[in-house]
Amino acid sequence: MKKIQVFDPALCCSTGVCGVDADQALISFSADVDWAKQQGALIERFNLAQQPMAFAENQIVKAFLELSGQDGLPLILLDGDIMLAGAYPSRAELARWVDITPPDTTAKPAKSCCSGSNCC
Amino acid sequence: MLFLEQPPRFLFFTGKGGVGKTSIACAATIQLADDGQRVLLVSTDPASNVGQVFGVTIGNQITAITAVERLFALEIDPQAAAQVYRERIVGPVRGLLPETVVNSIEEQLSGACTTEIAAFDEFTSLLTDTALHAHFDHIIFDTAPTGHTIRLLQLPGAWSSFIEEGTGDASCLGPLAGLVKQRAQYKAAVEALADPSRTRLILVSRAQNATLQEVARTYQELAAIGISQHFLVINGLFPQSETQQDALAKAIFSREQEALSAMPAILKTLPCDHLQLKPFNLVGLEALRQLLTGNVQQVIVECHKSVRINAPKLSALVDEIAADSHGLIMFMGKGGVGKTTLAAAVAVELAHRGLPTHLTTTDPAAHLTKTLTGTVENLMVSRIDPEVETERYRVQVLDTKGAQLDAEGLALLEEDLRSPCTEEIAVFQAFSRIIREADKKFVVIDTAPTGHTLLLLDATGAYHREVSRQAGSTGLHDVTPMMQLQDQKQTKVLIVTLAETTPVLEAVNLQEDLRRAGIEPWGWIINNSAAAAVSQSSLLMERAKNELNEIEDVAHRYAHRYAVVPLLKNEPVGETLLRSLIYP
Repeated sequence: MKKIQVFDPALCCSTGVCGVDADQALISFSADVDWAKQQGALIERFNLAQQPMAFAENQIVKAFLELSGQDGLPLILLDGDIMLAGAYPSRAELARWVDITPPDTTAKPAKSCCSGSNCC
Repeated sequence: MLFLEQPPRFLFFTGKGGVGKTSIACAATIQLADDGQRVLLVSTDPASNVGQVFGVTIGNQITAITAVERLFALEIDPQAAAQVYRERIVGPVRGLLPETVVNSIEEQLSGACTTEIAAFDEFTSLLTDTALHAHFDHIIFDTAPTGHTIRLLQLPGAWSSFIEEGTGDASCLGPLAGLVKQRAQYKAAVEALADPSRTRLILVSRAQNATLQEVARTYQELAAIGISQHFLVINGLFPQSETQQDALAKAIFSREQEALSAMPAILKTLPCDHLQLKPFNLVGLEALRQLLTGNVQQVIVECHKSVRINAPKLSALVDEIAADSHGLIMFMGKGGVGKTTLAAAVAVELAHRGLPTHLTTTDPAAHLTKTLTGTVENLMVSRIDPEVETERYRVQVLDTKGAQLDAEGLALLEEDLRSPCTEEIAVFQAFSRIIREADKKFVVIDTAPTGHTLLLLDATGAYHREVSRQAGSTGLHDVTPMMQLQDQKQTKVLIVTLAETTPVLEAVNLQEDLRRAGIEPWGWIINNSAAAAVSQSSLLMERAKNELNEIEDVAHRYAHRYAVVPLLKNEPVGETLLRSLIYP
């Protein structure tokens, strides 16, 4: 089974409630992750504000942060390779990456998170 | 004292800064120790003078107070505790990750929530350590956790997704990631809090409408989560015996009595003790022993020469503000210091000088708004209701964003929406519609966001987007809203405080917080000063004398410019009385 690792920006609250505009992309993505996990996908999430060591210990993530800064987050790795940066994947993408059956309903379009910057 | 009759093991004193929680907690501890009980006093007061009171250095370990048998004390500095947690998370990556990233992580962990949770973490072991309980009959805390903190700790969703897995959703509980204790221990601590046979909460208030209303809210919030054994203490009551001497003293006495009779109904059902204002400083054992005894020894107050200060008046600040002909003027300070009244006074004065001014307030009673609307030339008055704005924001978030969450996730989202940050953001969002007017006229606001909130919003560009959206296509081409707030030519932040130890300390913290966001407060206003008032009352003169150190500190250590506004006989309402604050 392939492993997805999600490196989230520093969020005070994952829902983005603390921002001026709560971030729908984050909320949808949390639901998508729950769904994918239930289908057996292996997904890890790391929040920069709570687990910065996970960012520092991963050479790819560390190099990415040095280049793009935290504004470039989130960063999504599949078995250690960068799959997506600056946005969260859709449910369909998650399913495709880890070879699980995609959702029955027409896959929702990928919700890019405010053109790269995050909304929280 | 009713609150000391058959006391359970834990006593918590709660109330806003400056009401006298620490003094009463000290006095209660001494009384219990004098009665033969073994007592531990836990102080989290940042202005703690507990060590000074007992003549020993205490600090973060249980220390025997030799002057009183059976009495022990412990001082917890919540800021220092929060700093330890921040360091536990940030320390290991310093030097490994880019500096901007490290700074951003630190800011995330610099909010009031972190301090709250850090303090609760320190309490936890005191509430659950049975070995410690064998040593002490009573443990007395001069502060109490908020309902928000306790509710978060009670939510299963918060724990399952966050603490136990160590990954996943963050929330206001985020800071707990750096904590070391186990969920079972927090659970036991919360249970101890909610058990009336073990815990008593003592709400401390002054006889002021705003303060009593705040206490009523605290009571309702805690009662709703099962913490139901409450006592009420009204501290610092102005004695009737003083009223013959002086008109100002008489006015204060009547105002306090009116506030007591208008007290929220739910508070009237609580067992209540009244403590009179004492004509001496609450320092030293003897003074503290007298605080709680009903029959105070008649202390003969030496008749001070009337205290005279030569401090700048509000008119001097208004002169400087008026010279810029437009801009945003924000008043910042803790609840109850008089921000709304001062904002109204400055706005009325600017309008009176022929300068178009928009006053917008969060005044819950809408009293000022009503009395000023349409009566003053050049003045426009509007009001936003924090409760309405917060509720609108809550509903909007829950409807749109909560739809896809499961029950536990939804509960966590709802609790996050009850955080103090949410109200601050909702209110500021409402104000941002008006702020753009400040490039043409004066906009005077009786509140301001904290530096922490601004930094979080600014870090993500969310605030910029919001104001730009509100502003439409006009203006703000090369200046970001954050830059507008940082530029004193465009935005002046006035810090409002009282000439008392804790309120000044709280104001210093607000100033530090704004400085982190690159906003330098333009000036300070010391409100309700007895030293700036004229009075013959010996109690008021004693108070005036005690104010001098605080005024001195504000003048020389904290403020770039400042003004002192005298304690008034009546609440200033209407144009004339408000202007009398400017020219006392």
